[in-house]
Amino acid sequence: MTSTENPVRIAQLSCGAEYSGIQKEIDSAVKQVNAVMVYPEVDIADIESIEEEFGLKVASPDLKLVMARAKSIVTGKVQVDAVFVATCFRCAEAALVRSEVRRYIHEKTGIPVISYSFTERTTAGTLLTRMEALTTTARRKSLLAREKQSGLTAGIDSGSTTTKAVVMRDDKIIGKGWVPTIKVLESAEEAYANALKEAGVKREEIQALGTTGYGRFLIGEHFKADLVQEEITVNSKGAVYLAGKQKGTATVLDIGGMDNKAISVIDGIPGMFTMGGICAGASGRFLEMTAKRLGVGITELGALAVKGKAENVKMNSYCIVFGIQSLVNSLAAGNTPADVAAAACHSVAEQLFEQQLQEIDVKEPVIMVGGTALIEGLPKAVEELLKVKVIVPANAQYIGAVGAALLASGFISK
Amino acid sequence: MKVFIYPTNSLILSDLVERFGHEPLAIMQEVGKKVKSQGLDSPPLNITPEDPKLGLKYAAVEVPSGVRGRMSLFDPLLRNAEAAIVVRDPVISFGCMGCARTNELVNFLLRAKKIPLLELDYPSNEEEAKEFVYKISEFLKSLKPAEEKK
Amino acid sequence: MDSITKMVVINSSKLLPSDVVIKLYESNADVLIKETCFGVMVTGERKVVDSLLSTIRKMDPYGIFVKERGFAPGEPYRCRATRRGGARPGFHNLESEDKLLPHIASALRALDKGEIPQIKQKKKKLDIEKLKNIIKGTEVQQ
Repeated sequence: MTSTENPVRIAQLSCGAEYSGIQKEIDSAVKQVNAVMVYPEVDIADIESIEEEFGLKVASPDLKLVMARAKSIVTGKVQVDAVFVATCFRCAEAALVRSEVRRYIHEKTGIPVISYSFTERTTAGTLLTRMEALTTTARRKSLLAREKQSGLTAGIDSGSTTTKAVVMRDDKIIGKGWVPTIKVLESAEEAYANALKEAGVKREEIQALGTTGYGRFLIGEHFKADLVQEEITVNSKGAVYLAGKQKGTATVLDIGGMDNKAISVIDGIPGMFTMGGICAGASGRFLEMTAKRLGVGITELGALAVKGKAENVKMNSYCIVFGIQSLVNSLAAGNTPADVAAAACHSVAEQLFEQQLQEIDVKEPVIMVGGTALIEGLPKAVEELLKVKVIVPANAQYIGAVGAALLASGFISK
Repeated sequence: MKVFIYPTNSLILSDLVERFGHEPLAIMQEVGKKVKSQGLDSPPLNITPEDPKLGLKYAAVEVPSGVRGRMSLFDPLLRNAEAAIVVRDPVISFGCMGCARTNELVNFLLRAKKIPLLELDYPSNEEEAKEFVYKISEFLKSLKPAEEKK
Repeated sequence: MDSITKMVVINSSKLLPSDVVIKLYESNADVLIKETCFGVMVTGERKVVDSLLSTIRKMDPYGIFVKERGFAPGEPYRCRATRRGGARPGFHNLESEDKLLPHIASALRALDKGEIPQIKQKKKKLDIEKLKNIIKGTEVQQ
């Protein structure tokens, strides 16, 4: 993100952004990552023929313009480094176009694309992580090509719920720290200290440090990190590294404490991805609350869920309040805690499936990471829904910290 | 009279209405007011996240923000319209006219308003253009001229 | 003061944008003038612009078309030079309407001559019975 680099050119293919009052937010987010929005040139003949050529007929003219601009990118009429496809949330017509345009550009050009559906409440802050990931993919191909950790490096992942730290030496994890996030800096200090202690190394010996997660900027500054990187890039890299699937396609799923990430990865580099963060019912918090209501620890919930049958419990809401209430009611109606645990996992997996996995192309292997991946019932529920085998690599909960430590080793000797 | 035109950014309709002595109500005037009257807080159109909320007057919250934002822009035009000319299948048009759902709602509201309304097809050749211009001129003649209205 | 911009779109065999520009300058009116690929943009007080353009229209009533424009000329968020890439949304609209202007011009001429065009009947969908008969007829031939 240094200002000496040329700005990344992101093509904006959108419908409704100006009228939702959020163009300013988009512009502000791209400015923060040293990028600029460009509007691919099209002429009237392109627009008139685009429906026939693209094969998708739509009623809204601005969506025709989106398709024509996409074609302009694919045919090389305009040179861009990345593409941002955005339309109004809840517009069915636009959702179809958004999805097909994203796939079309990605398949025909390999240019990184992200898609987003906005409301008038969308802010630059929400868009920032996505834009950061998009520009990193476009700008730092060489950094992302790194497949092995080298030297002595560390990574800290300051998440919304937990803070994780790892110390790595010569491609091996030698120290780990895991604490709940209470105060961002203090929790990071604690997790890092624990990891260093386990590794038996001093802080001064660490050759490079990477930070990621919600608190990445704050802790990055505090620890004078060499790499401060959003979690899409870091988790993609960490996931394929831990799973030993660095080459070819993969899909990375991370159900976090506050938001979920579904990332389609090619050779360790994120291609398409979505980040959801509106509903707590689709987050790790839902499972945490279910565990609490069942009177079991979060670490026990998964094993319990594997023994149960989700279909025995009727849930009429995904909501963290009403959904959990119906789980509790089903206990009173005679269902077993195992069934309830399974139903909770199924509910979270189903929301991920319905709301996020439609936005990316799910390609095997599917790798689940983050602390929630260890709740065995959850990957099982995802497997049942997707009908594919789900890989949960060892140390899946340290994904961000491992990814950061791995990428940080690219900064040694600088 | 104040004549709402649809497509609301049409050069031809705007010109014909003015040519035949009436005042076209076109979206460009509203865009102009937005971008010129205040400091440009939310470029390019100065539509802020407040505008889609104002659009709730016309459509519920489950309707996309882009529709509601556009509706807030259309609001003064719809309120002031004394007559309307609607072209049923206009040539492709973008921006303020770029959303089909908004356009359907605007058309409905015009019809529901029970003001003098002319609906006609977009011409594709000279003969149709003659019919198009003739119908518009007859319609506009049937309305009271702008200067006589008060 | 209500400052507005109007676009004068010229689609004429006898008039160039530069002719209109000269005429506008000759008027000495308090307006800003910008020549464009479609014609001229005139910015000023609404009354001044309207009265000036009603004179300009007379230069070629069938070749000059006028509409208001929301943005002032050269507005950085709309101007192609500063917007990085494609035209502002309204440009394509104008481009497609421009193609129809010669037809509108001849329609206006016809109107001024008092011609009453034939009103075409709308095409109705084919009666289902007729379609059935056609299908039956085709079957027999096979």
